[in-house]
Amino acid sequence: MIFNKSKAQNLQSEEAPLEEMNIESVSEDTVETIVGPSVNVEGDFASEGNIIVKGTVSGSVHTSRHLVVESGARIMANVRAQSAQIAGEVKGNMKIKESLEILSTARIIGDVEAKVLAVEAGALIFGKITMPGLEVEGKTMRSNKQNKRVDDFTVSPELQ
Amino acid sequence: MYVYIYDNFLRQRKFESAIKAMEIRLTDYGIAGKILRLHNYTDAKPVIDDEIKRGAKTVVIVGNDQTFGHILSRSATCDCVFGFLPIGPNNTIAQVLGIPVGDAACDVLSRRRKELLDVGWMNNRYFVSQLHVPPSKIEVTYDERFKVSANDKMEIVVCNLQPFYWKNDKKSTEQYVVHPQDGKLEAFLRPLTKKGWWGYKYEDPSVFPFEEMEINAIEPFVVEADGKITKEIKVKIKLAHGKINMVVGRDRKF
Repeated sequence: MIFNKSKAQNLQSEEAPLEEMNIESVSEDTVETIVGPSVNVEGDFASEGNIIVKGTVSGSVHTSRHLVVESGARIMANVRAQSAQIAGEVKGNMKIKESLEILSTARIIGDVEAKVLAVEAGALIFGKITMPGLEVEGKTMRSNKQNKRVDDFTVSPELQ
Repeated sequence: MYVYIYDNFLRQRKFESAIKAMEIRLTDYGIAGKILRLHNYTDAKPVIDDEIKRGAKTVVIVGNDQTFGHILSRSATCDCVFGFLPIGPNNTIAQVLGIPVGDAACDVLSRRRKELLDVGWMNNRYFVSQLHVPPSKIEVTYDERFKVSANDKMEIVVCNLQPFYWKNDKKSTEQYVVHPQDGKLEAFLRPLTKKGWWGYKYEDPSVFPFEEMEINAIEPFVVEADGKITKEIKVKIKLAHGKINMVVGRDRKF
């Protein structure tokens, strides 16, 4: 076993006092939830803090703060977050309140809704992208079981 | 009335001067009181209950993290104010509580800034500092909402008051720390994967803050909570809010 309680205490007393912790350890500390690379999470995964996903999550992910999906990570359900940075794979709809950053290694299969969107060259997206702020007059929405489609709409004059 | 519970290791000669300085400071502040010495087979709960019946209002633990965990895990339900005077090495909880090590801790005690502390609850007993499950084939369910599993063995550390320090491997110079938060327990999970014929390799850890979790396994696994080791097949861990009334320092981390 590499570490245990007594060893951990020794590490603290012998090697580095709290003030001398490196930057990486400090950044680790601000993150509240981390899903490691060889861990499988099943079920509704909700948190009130930041989430970093490095492994696989089969179930919805919901956070009121920032979500990071690292390269190689997989989320197999709907995602809701305040802001997000995606470098891994997401199979499900994404609803982001603020900014969404999609990196080149990302693969998204599902609808995306975000206020601010940044997509890096090389990212793959299959789905509908919706951004609030664009007002559409006289729109008639027809919803099927599979998808929603806008049939007839006119864009408001100030946007033309 | 103050009652001081000294750990057994404080009998060593190297702590004599520190204890003398502490006792002088306590007398100066007028908060000196009865001194009890903890032995290996002493159960703290009946001792503290007896002292409360005799009129003790404040019970002060004198020792290190181990003393703190040992006493409070058994006497968390006692109706009194707890104080802590850290002496010697292995005092990480004192940092979290904002109490300096040595006789400066008497200043904090005399100011009597009280806070209600959360305690971890495991099956049918409390734990204050840490709960540790060495690598075993286990599955964890959080808040009855989501399940976490690994392909092979997994190690778990649940932090309540004691921060947890870890490294990627023995040779690594980078040290990480999991700081406990107020109102939540922190679970640190580290899966192991097979390396070669016999060896195991630690994977990157996961950290989950939670209020309730359940550890299940097919075979019994070892659980160490505040130094007490048991074997369990199912462990339910909860957070008990505001159980301990404790004198803390201004520089506390919560």
